[in-house]
Amino acid sequence: MRKKNKIKINYAVCGDGNTIDPRHCAKCLQVCKPAIFLLHQTVGASEKNPLDPQKWRVTPLWPSLCNRCMACVEACPEKAIEVL
Amino acid sequence: MCDLCMKHGAGGKWYLNAEHYSNTIVERYGLRDYLLEQYKNFEQVSVRKVHGFSAVGLGYKLRIPIIGRMIKHTAKNMLHSKKPPKNPLKAENHIGQVVPLEDAIAIIEKCAVEPLIEKHCMCRYMSRGIKEACCINFGVMSEIIEKLPRFVPEKEKFHLSRKEAVDRFRAHNRKGYIGTIWFGPFPYINNLCSCQSPECAGIRPRLDFGIHSIYKAEYVIQMDRKKCSGCGHCVKRCPFDALSVHKDSQSLDIDLEKCFGCGVCRHVCSQQALHLLPRDMVAQVKGKY
Repeated sequence: MRKKNKIKINYAVCGDGNTIDPRHCAKCLQVCKPAIFLLHQTVGASEKNPLDPQKWRVTPLWPSLCNRCMACVEACPEKAIEVL
Repeated sequence: MCDLCMKHGAGGKWYLNAEHYSNTIVERYGLRDYLLEQYKNFEQVSVRKVHGFSAVGLGYKLRIPIIGRMIKHTAKNMLHSKKPPKNPLKAENHIGQVVPLEDAIAIIEKCAVEPLIEKHCMCRYMSRGIKEACCINFGVMSEIIEKLPRFVPEKEKFHLSRKEAVDRFRAHNRKGYIGTIWFGPFPYINNLCSCQSPECAGIRPRLDFGIHSIYKAEYVIQMDRKKCSGCGHCVKRCPFDALSVHKDSQSLDIDLEKCFGCGVCRHVCSQQALHLLPRDMVAQVKGKY
Protein backbone atom coordinates (compact mmCIF):
# COMPACT_ATOMS: atom_id res chain seq x y z
CA MET A 1 0.00 0.00 0.00
CA ARG A 2 1.21 3.48 -0.84
CA LYS A 3 2.03 5.43 2.29
CA LYS A 4 1.52 9.07 1.43
CA ASN A 5 0.71 11.15 -1.60
CA LYS A 6 3.30 13.83 -2.07
CA ILE A 7 2.38 16.74 -4.28
CA LYS A 8 5.17 19.16 -5.08
CA ILE A 9 4.68 22.56 -6.62
CA ASN A 10 7.64 24.46 -8.05
CA TYR A 11 7.19 27.88 -6.49
CA ALA A 12 9.98 29.33 -8.61
CA VAL A 13 7.52 29.07 -11.51
CA CYS A 14 4.10 29.25 -9.90
CA GLY A 15 3.37 32.13 -7.56
CA ASP A 16 2.46 35.78 -7.29
CA GLY A 17 5.14 37.66 -9.25
CA ASN A 18 6.66 34.56 -10.92
CA THR A 19 5.90 33.06 -14.34
CA ILE A 20 2.26 32.23 -13.51
CA ASP A 21 0.04 34.13 -11.13
CA PRO A 22 -2.12 31.43 -9.52
CA ARG A 23 -5.02 33.84 -9.07
CA HIS A 24 -5.40 34.18 -12.83
CA CYS A 25 -4.36 30.68 -13.85
CA ALA A 26 -6.00 28.42 -11.24
CA LYS A 27 -6.17 25.54 -13.75
CA CYS A 28 -5.02 22.93 -11.23
CA LEU A 29 -7.66 24.06 -8.76
CA GLN A 30 -10.42 23.73 -11.30
CA VAL A 31 -9.54 20.30 -12.69
CA CYS A 32 -9.03 18.68 -9.30
CA LYS A 33 -12.10 16.58 -8.56
CA PRO A 34 -11.67 16.34 -4.77
CA ALA A 35 -10.52 20.02 -4.66
CA ILE A 36 -7.41 19.40 -2.61
CA PHE A 37 -5.58 22.63 -3.49
CA LEU A 38 -5.79 25.91 -1.62
CA LEU A 39 -5.16 29.35 -3.06
CA HIS A 40 -3.91 31.60 -0.28
CA GLN A 41 -1.59 34.36 0.78
CA THR A 42 1.75 33.35 2.29
CA VAL A 43 1.85 33.23 6.06
CA GLY A 44 5.46 32.82 7.20
CA ALA A 45 6.74 36.30 6.46
CA SER A 46 3.57 38.14 7.32
CA GLU A 47 3.30 36.64 10.79
CA LYS A 48 6.61 38.15 11.83
CA ASN A 49 6.14 41.41 10.05
CA PRO A 50 2.64 42.38 8.97
CA LEU A 51 4.07 44.96 6.56
CA ASP A 52 5.79 42.31 4.45
CA PRO A 53 4.13 41.87 1.08
CA GLN A 54 1.79 38.90 1.13
CA LYS A 55 2.07 36.76 -1.98
CA TRP A 56 -0.50 34.44 -3.41
CA ARG A 57 0.39 30.81 -3.94
CA VAL A 58 -1.19 27.37 -4.28
CA THR A 59 -0.71 24.73 -1.59
CA PRO A 60 -1.83 21.09 -1.81
CA LEU A 61 -3.86 21.26 1.39
CA TRP A 62 -5.50 17.82 1.61
CA PRO A 63 -3.02 15.42 -0.07
CA SER A 64 -4.60 12.45 1.70
CA LEU A 65 -7.71 12.90 -0.45
CA CYS A 66 -5.77 12.93 -3.74
CA ASN A 67 -6.89 10.12 -6.04
CA ARG A 68 -3.81 10.41 -8.27
CA CYS A 69 -5.74 11.11 -11.44
CA MET A 70 -2.86 13.41 -12.56
CA ALA A 71 -5.26 15.93 -14.06
CA CYS A 72 -3.41 18.79 -12.34
CA VAL A 73 -0.06 17.65 -13.76
CA GLU A 74 -1.54 17.68 -17.26
CA ALA A 75 -3.40 20.95 -16.79
CA CYS A 76 -0.45 23.00 -15.51
CA PRO A 77 0.78 25.18 -18.40
CA GLU A 78 4.32 25.38 -16.96
CA LYS A 79 4.56 21.78 -15.68
CA ALA A 80 5.16 23.02 -12.15
CA ILE A 81 3.25 20.25 -10.37
CA GLU A 82 4.68 16.86 -9.55
CA VAL A 83 2.76 14.03 -7.88
CA LEU A 84 5.00 11.48 -6.16
CA MET B 1 -33.66 20.37 18.60
CA CYS B 2 -29.85 20.36 18.52
CA ASP B 3 -27.66 21.48 21.47
CA LEU B 4 -27.32 24.94 19.98
CA CYS B 5 -31.10 25.37 19.90
CA MET B 6 -31.43 24.09 23.47
CA LYS B 7 -28.98 26.64 24.81
CA HIS B 8 -29.28 29.58 22.45
CA GLY B 9 -32.60 29.17 20.70
CA ALA B 10 -34.82 30.93 23.26
CA GLY B 11 -37.40 28.18 22.79
CA GLY B 12 -37.01 27.85 19.03
CA LYS B 13 -34.21 27.26 16.57
CA TRP B 14 -30.96 29.06 17.31
CA TYR B 15 -30.79 30.66 13.89
CA LEU B 16 -34.28 32.09 14.22
CA ASN B 17 -33.39 33.86 17.45
CA ALA B 18 -33.10 37.50 16.36
CA GLU B 19 -30.83 38.31 19.30
CA HIS B 20 -27.88 36.68 17.52
CA TYR B 21 -28.15 39.09 14.59
CA SER B 22 -28.26 42.32 16.56
CA ASN B 23 -25.61 45.00 16.40
CA THR B 24 -25.39 45.16 20.21
CA ILE B 25 -23.40 41.89 20.12
CA VAL B 26 -21.02 43.47 17.62
CA GLU B 27 -20.38 46.39 19.96
CA ARG B 28 -20.07 44.17 23.05
CA TYR B 29 -17.31 42.00 21.60
CA GLY B 30 -15.70 44.62 19.34
CA LEU B 31 -16.40 42.49 16.30
CA ARG B 32 -15.84 45.18 13.67
CA ASP B 33 -12.04 45.02 13.94
CA TYR B 34 -12.13 41.30 14.60
CA LEU B 35 -14.07 40.49 11.45
CA LEU B 36 -12.05 42.84 9.24
CA GLU B 37 -8.80 41.24 10.42
CA GLN B 38 -10.25 37.74 9.99
CA TYR B 39 -11.56 38.24 6.47
CA LYS B 40 -8.45 40.09 5.30
CA ASN B 41 -6.55 36.86 5.99
CA PHE B 42 -9.37 34.42 5.40
CA GLU B 43 -7.57 32.11 2.96
CA GLN B 44 -4.68 31.65 5.37
CA VAL B 45 -6.73 30.01 8.11
CA SER B 46 -5.96 26.48 6.91
CA VAL B 47 -2.22 26.99 6.46
CA ARG B 48 -1.61 28.96 9.66
CA LYS B 49 -0.27 26.97 12.59
CA VAL B 50 -2.47 26.71 15.68
CA HIS B 51 -0.81 25.12 18.73
CA GLY B 52 1.99 24.00 16.40
CA PHE B 53 -0.26 22.29 13.86
CA SER B 54 -1.73 23.52 10.60
CA ALA B 55 -4.43 21.80 8.56
CA VAL B 56 -2.01 20.96 5.72
CA GLY B 57 -2.10 17.18 5.23
CA LEU B 58 -4.69 16.82 7.97
CA GLY B 59 -5.69 13.32 6.83
CA TYR B 60 -2.17 12.04 7.57
CA LYS B 61 -1.85 13.95 10.82
CA LEU B 62 -5.06 12.43 12.15
CA ARG B 63 -3.66 8.95 11.56
CA ILE B 64 -0.78 9.52 14.03
CA PRO B 65 -1.61 7.62 17.24
CA ILE B 66 -2.64 9.80 20.22
CA ILE B 67 -1.47 13.04 18.55
CA GLY B 68 -4.09 12.56 15.85
CA ARG B 69 -6.78 12.27 18.46
CA MET B 70 -5.52 15.36 20.22
CA ILE B 71 -5.61 17.38 17.00
CA LYS B 72 -9.18 16.29 16.36
CA HIS B 73 -10.20 17.17 19.90
CA THR B 74 -8.51 20.60 19.76
CA ALA B 75 -10.04 21.41 16.39
CA LYS B 76 -13.50 20.50 17.60
CA ASN B 77 -13.14 22.53 20.81
CA MET B 78 -11.90 25.53 18.85
CA LEU B 79 -14.87 25.48 16.49
CA HIS B 80 -17.45 24.85 19.23
CA SER B 81 -15.94 27.32 21.69
CA LYS B 82 -18.42 29.64 23.38
CA LYS B 83 -15.80 31.91 24.96
CA PRO B 84 -15.59 35.51 23.77
CA PRO B 85 -13.67 35.53 20.48
CA LYS B 86 -10.06 36.64 20.90
CA ASN B 87 -7.86 35.69 17.98
CA PRO B 88 -9.16 36.62 14.53
CA LEU B 89 -6.49 34.48 12.88
CA LYS B 90 -8.02 31.23 14.11
CA ALA B 91 -11.33 29.72 13.04
CA GLU B 92 -12.66 30.16 16.57
CA ASN B 93 -16.34 29.93 17.48
CA HIS B 94 -17.22 29.23 13.87
CA ILE B 95 -19.93 26.63 13.85
CA GLY B 96 -22.76 26.27 11.38
CA GLN B 97 -25.82 24.28 10.47
CA VAL B 98 -27.45 23.16 7.26
CA VAL B 99 -30.76 24.96 6.62
CA PRO B 100 -33.43 24.06 4.09
CA LEU B 101 -34.97 26.69 1.81
CA GLU B 102 -37.97 27.45 4.06
CA ASP B 103 -35.86 28.25 7.12
CA ALA B 104 -33.42 30.32 5.08
CA ILE B 105 -36.30 32.43 3.78
CA ALA B 106 -37.50 32.92 7.36
CA ILE B 107 -33.99 34.05 8.33
CA ILE B 108 -33.78 36.59 5.53
CA GLU B 109 -37.29 37.91 6.02
CA LYS B 110 -37.46 38.06 9.80
CA CYS B 111 -34.03 37.97 11.41
CA ALA B 112 -31.32 39.36 9.13
CA VAL B 113 -30.18 42.90 9.88
CA GLU B 114 -29.84 45.41 7.03
CA PRO B 115 -27.77 45.99 4.93
CA LEU B 116 -27.90 42.71 3.03
CA ILE B 117 -25.26 41.93 0.43
CA GLU B 118 -24.28 39.03 -1.76
CA LYS B 119 -20.54 38.43 -1.93
CA HIS B 120 -18.22 36.07 -3.73
CA CYS B 121 -18.03 32.71 -2.01
CA MET B 122 -14.68 32.57 -0.23
CA CYS B 123 -14.45 28.80 -0.22
CA ARG B 124 -14.94 28.56 -3.97
CA TYR B 125 -12.34 31.28 -4.49
CA MET B 126 -9.70 29.59 -2.37
CA SER B 127 -10.35 26.04 -3.51
CA ARG B 128 -11.27 26.60 -7.18
CA GLY B 129 -9.96 30.07 -7.96
CA ILE B 130 -13.39 31.09 -9.29
CA LYS B 131 -15.49 34.03 -8.21
CA GLU B 132 -19.15 33.19 -7.82
CA ALA B 133 -21.51 35.44 -5.91
CA CYS B 134 -23.69 33.30 -3.69
CA CYS B 135 -23.07 34.07 0.00
CA ILE B 136 -25.54 36.39 1.65
CA ASN B 137 -24.20 38.56 4.48
CA PHE B 138 -26.00 40.69 7.01
CA GLY B 139 -25.30 43.72 9.16
CA VAL B 140 -21.74 44.63 10.05
CA MET B 141 -20.31 41.88 7.88
CA SER B 142 -21.69 43.63 4.80
CA GLU B 143 -19.81 46.81 5.67
CA ILE B 144 -16.60 44.85 6.14
CA ILE B 145 -16.82 42.97 2.87
CA GLU B 146 -17.02 46.25 0.97
CA LYS B 147 -13.48 47.01 2.15
CA LEU B 148 -12.16 43.77 0.63
CA PRO B 149 -12.36 44.08 -3.16
CA ARG B 150 -11.68 40.41 -3.95
CA PHE B 151 -15.03 39.41 -2.45
CA VAL B 152 -17.13 42.17 -4.01
CA PRO B 153 -18.92 41.29 -7.27
CA GLU B 154 -17.96 43.82 -9.94
CA LYS B 155 -20.74 43.50 -12.46
CA GLU B 156 -23.81 42.36 -10.59
CA LYS B 157 -25.76 44.39 -8.11
CA PHE B 158 -24.67 43.19 -4.69
CA HIS B 159 -26.67 45.35 -2.29
CA LEU B 160 -29.92 43.44 -1.98
CA SER B 161 -33.36 44.09 -0.61
CA ARG B 162 -34.91 41.29 1.46
CA LYS B 163 -37.00 40.16 -1.48
CA GLU B 164 -34.02 40.07 -3.84
CA ALA B 165 -32.01 38.14 -1.28
CA VAL B 166 -34.78 35.53 -1.02
CA ASP B 167 -34.94 35.24 -4.82
CA ARG B 168 -31.17 34.83 -5.14
CA PHE B 169 -31.06 32.27 -2.37
CA ARG B 170 -33.92 30.33 -3.90
CA ALA B 171 -32.14 30.28 -7.28
CA HIS B 172 -28.95 28.92 -5.69
CA ASN B 173 -30.89 26.33 -3.73
CA ARG B 174 -32.64 25.10 -6.88
CA LYS B 175 -29.25 24.77 -8.56
CA GLY B 176 -28.34 22.28 -5.83
CA TYR B 177 -26.29 24.47 -3.50
CA ILE B 178 -26.71 23.55 0.15
CA GLY B 179 -28.03 26.31 2.40
CA THR B 180 -25.93 26.83 5.53
CA ILE B 181 -26.05 29.37 8.34
CA TRP B 182 -22.96 30.25 10.38
CA PHE B 183 -21.98 31.66 13.71
CA GLY B 184 -18.99 33.76 12.84
CA PRO B 185 -17.84 34.20 15.62
CA PHE B 186 -20.27 32.95 18.28
CA PRO B 187 -22.68 34.54 19.28
CA TYR B 188 -22.99 36.61 16.08
CA ILE B 189 -24.68 35.22 12.97
CA ASN B 190 -23.69 36.96 9.76
CA ASN B 191 -23.42 34.43 6.94
CA LEU B 192 -26.06 32.58 4.96
CA CYS B 193 -24.12 30.54 2.45
CA SER B 194 -25.03 28.39 -0.52
CA CYS B 195 -22.37 25.73 -0.33
CA GLN B 196 -21.08 23.08 -2.63
CA SER B 197 -19.27 19.93 -1.60
CA PRO B 198 -16.27 19.32 -1.75
CA GLU B 199 -15.37 23.02 -2.10
CA CYS B 200 -16.93 24.17 1.17
CA ALA B 201 -14.32 24.53 3.90
CA GLY B 202 -16.99 23.95 6.54
CA ILE B 203 -18.51 20.74 5.22
CA ARG B 204 -15.22 19.09 4.26
CA PRO B 205 -13.84 18.52 7.81
CA ARG B 206 -17.04 16.73 8.75
CA LEU B 207 -17.38 14.55 5.65
CA ASP B 208 -13.73 13.66 5.15
CA PHE B 209 -12.19 13.88 8.60
CA GLY B 210 -15.07 13.44 11.05
CA ILE B 211 -14.56 16.81 12.76
CA HIS B 212 -17.94 18.25 13.69
CA SER B 213 -17.60 21.57 11.92
CA ILE B 214 -21.24 21.74 10.84
CA TYR B 215 -24.48 20.40 12.28
CA LYS B 216 -27.00 18.52 10.20
CA ALA B 217 -30.28 20.33 9.61
CA GLU B 218 -33.25 20.15 11.94
CA TYR B 219 -34.92 18.09 9.24
CA VAL B 220 -34.45 14.84 7.40
CA ILE B 221 -35.70 13.75 3.98
CA GLN B 222 -38.66 11.41 3.65
CA MET B 223 -40.21 9.94 0.52
CA ASP B 224 -43.65 8.96 -0.62
CA ARG B 225 -43.26 5.44 -2.02
CA LYS B 226 -46.45 5.63 -4.04
CA LYS B 227 -45.33 8.73 -5.92
CA CYS B 228 -41.66 7.84 -6.53
CA SER B 229 -40.99 6.63 -10.08
CA GLY B 230 -37.36 5.65 -9.42
CA CYS B 231 -35.98 8.02 -12.08
CA GLY B 232 -32.87 8.74 -9.99
CA HIS B 233 -32.56 12.48 -10.67
CA CYS B 234 -32.33 13.13 -6.92
CA VAL B 235 -29.48 10.63 -6.53
CA LYS B 236 -27.21 12.75 -8.71
CA ARG B 237 -28.25 15.85 -6.81
CA CYS B 238 -27.42 14.59 -3.29
CA PRO B 239 -23.97 15.85 -2.23
CA PHE B 240 -23.84 13.47 0.75
CA ASP B 241 -24.47 10.15 -1.08
CA ALA B 242 -27.55 9.55 1.03
CA LEU B 243 -29.78 8.52 -1.86
CA SER B 244 -29.53 5.50 -4.16
CA VAL B 245 -31.85 3.62 -6.49
CA HIS B 246 -32.23 -0.03 -5.55
CA LYS B 247 -31.08 -2.26 -8.43
CA ASP B 248 -33.92 -4.80 -8.40
CA SER B 249 -36.96 -2.95 -7.19
CA GLN B 250 -36.14 0.34 -9.03
CA SER B 251 -37.20 2.28 -5.94
CA LEU B 252 -35.36 4.91 -3.99
CA ASP B 253 -33.31 4.00 -0.90
CA ILE B 254 -32.65 6.74 1.63
CA ASP B 255 -29.73 6.42 4.01
CA LEU B 256 -31.05 8.52 6.88
CA GLU B 257 -27.73 8.43 8.73
CA LYS B 258 -26.07 10.21 5.82
CA CYS B 259 -28.84 12.70 5.09
CA PHE B 260 -28.01 16.26 6.19
CA GLY B 261 -31.54 17.49 5.59
CA CYS B 262 -30.60 20.23 3.12
CA GLY B 263 -33.62 19.44 0.95
CA VAL B 264 -32.03 20.30 -2.41
CA CYS B 265 -33.11 16.91 -3.81
CA ARG B 266 -36.73 18.04 -3.63
CA HIS B 267 -36.21 20.55 -6.43
CA VAL B 268 -35.44 17.94 -9.08
CA CYS B 269 -38.26 15.54 -8.17
CA SER B 270 -40.88 15.74 -10.89
CA GLN B 271 -43.33 13.60 -8.88
CA GLN B 272 -43.16 15.71 -5.69
CA ALA B 273 -42.32 12.51 -3.83
CA LEU B 274 -39.75 13.99 -1.46
CA HIS B 275 -40.45 16.12 1.59
CA LEU B 276 -38.69 17.14 4.79
CA LEU B 277 -39.74 15.99 8.24
CA PRO B 278 -38.39 17.37 11.53
CA ARG B 279 -35.46 15.21 12.67
CA ASP B 280 -36.99 14.73 16.11
CA MET B 281 -39.98 12.98 14.59
CA VAL B 282 -37.89 10.25 12.93
CA ALA B 283 -36.79 7.76 15.59
CA GLN B 284 -33.73 6.50 13.69
CA VAL B 285 -31.98 9.86 13.52
CA LYS B 286 -33.52 11.66 16.49
CA GLY B 287 -30.88 13.71 18.27
CA LYS B 288 -28.17 12.93 15.68
CA TYR B 289 -26.96 16.27 14.44
